[in-house]
Amino acid sequence: MNSRGVQKVLQGLQLVSSAPAGRICSPLSSWNSRPGSGSNRALSGSGRGSMNVFNREMKKRQKNWAAVLQDGHQYDYLRDEVGSRVADRVYDITRTFPLALDIGGGKSHIADHLNKDVVERLFLTDISQHTLKHRRPSEIPTQCILADEEFLPFKENTFDLVLSSLTLHWINDLPGALRQIHQVLKPDGVFIGAMVGGETLYELRCSLQLAETEREGGFSPHVSPYTAVTDLGNLLGQAGFNMLTVDIDDVQVHYPGIMEVMTDLQGMGESNCAWNRRSMLHRDTMLAAAAIYKEMYGNEDGSVPATFEILYMIGWKPHESQAKPAKRGSATVSFGDLGKISRQSSTKES
Amino acid sequence: MSGSNVWSRSRERLRVFPELLAQCADEAAVYGKCVAATTTGNQELKKDLCAKEFEALKTCFTNAEKKEAKVNNRI
Repeated sequence: MNSRGVQKVLQGLQLVSSAPAGRICSPLSSWNSRPGSGSNRALSGSGRGSMNVFNREMKKRQKNWAAVLQDGHQYDYLRDEVGSRVADRVYDITRTFPLALDIGGGKSHIADHLNKDVVERLFLTDISQHTLKHRRPSEIPTQCILADEEFLPFKENTFDLVLSSLTLHWINDLPGALRQIHQVLKPDGVFIGAMVGGETLYELRCSLQLAETEREGGFSPHVSPYTAVTDLGNLLGQAGFNMLTVDIDDVQVHYPGIMEVMTDLQGMGESNCAWNRRSMLHRDTMLAAAAIYKEMYGNEDGSVPATFEILYMIGWKPHESQAKPAKRGSATVSFGDLGKISRQSSTKES
Repeated sequence: MSGSNVWSRSRERLRVFPELLAQCADEAAVYGKCVAATTTGNQELKKDLCAKEFEALKTCFTNAEKKEAKVNNRI
């Protein structure tokens, strides 16, 4: 790590030393503000594909490795949970979707909770072949396609529904991917997605950061940069979606210790694949991080929590049938009449 | 895999990491408190600020590792 980077880090630490413990590291998550590092993933500006944060080839290998693990299904809990919540949102829309697309669907966690009345045909894509091979059987006729989320091989105006669960956080050009999703949707089609964002794994990030600083004198990013919930609305709007809904869900999972957190993340296929990642973690640093994690975030029963902040988003492709804001000056009643409504009903009752 | 090599040995060492750390819970808590104190106090975290506490933790951990290896005939 260059000395300039270390200086910036120490400056950052000084700035936040008065912050309450546990949240100290959140402002530091954007310490790496060098161009092209992509730590702040809000808006990539005009350059399409100019952001190259993640090594997609490595991510494909990691997902393939995770898919063929002996007891791979024990790591599916997070994906299953988020998949069921996305399916809930699909059910909330009282429509039948003839053709749906699940991007980065992996073992098809969402379709697990859907039935044929809601989705008639499903296309499942993922960059990892082995994950697709191990997909769960579903009553919905499914077609599996090996495709990268950033390069969708579909024609415009094809799908009524596009789903995405826990895969957008590994995409390099997020605005571009959202634009492509917008393109493949039919007008009045809907995109329902879930991605990890914001403060996900802040405990792990902080523990490793503090441990590396104390043990080695500087630190490098181990947890990938996430999209903030405030930026998500902008991103969806820029991609052309309207009638947006964005909400957050905090999922906290308790583990015995930091090693189990990292092993589970590895088993889920969520190992770090950013280009700027360090290829190793010193044993001393691991020991220090384990001690810090337990001390700073541990629960009374000895377990440690890991936070996953899931951002759910719903966006519609514009269509004439959708409600639009009324024209200015077209109001027929005034807000002042609101008070009269309650008085009228009470006189009726008496 | 063909027999015992550096990968299988280091994976085995990592696998027993949590059990060994559990035996050094006190030293780990002391070290953790020392580092956590820098997040709230005025002192900024520098290299080896808590070196003494870490040495105690490391010694305890290494002893626990040696004992475990002897018991499981890994030495």
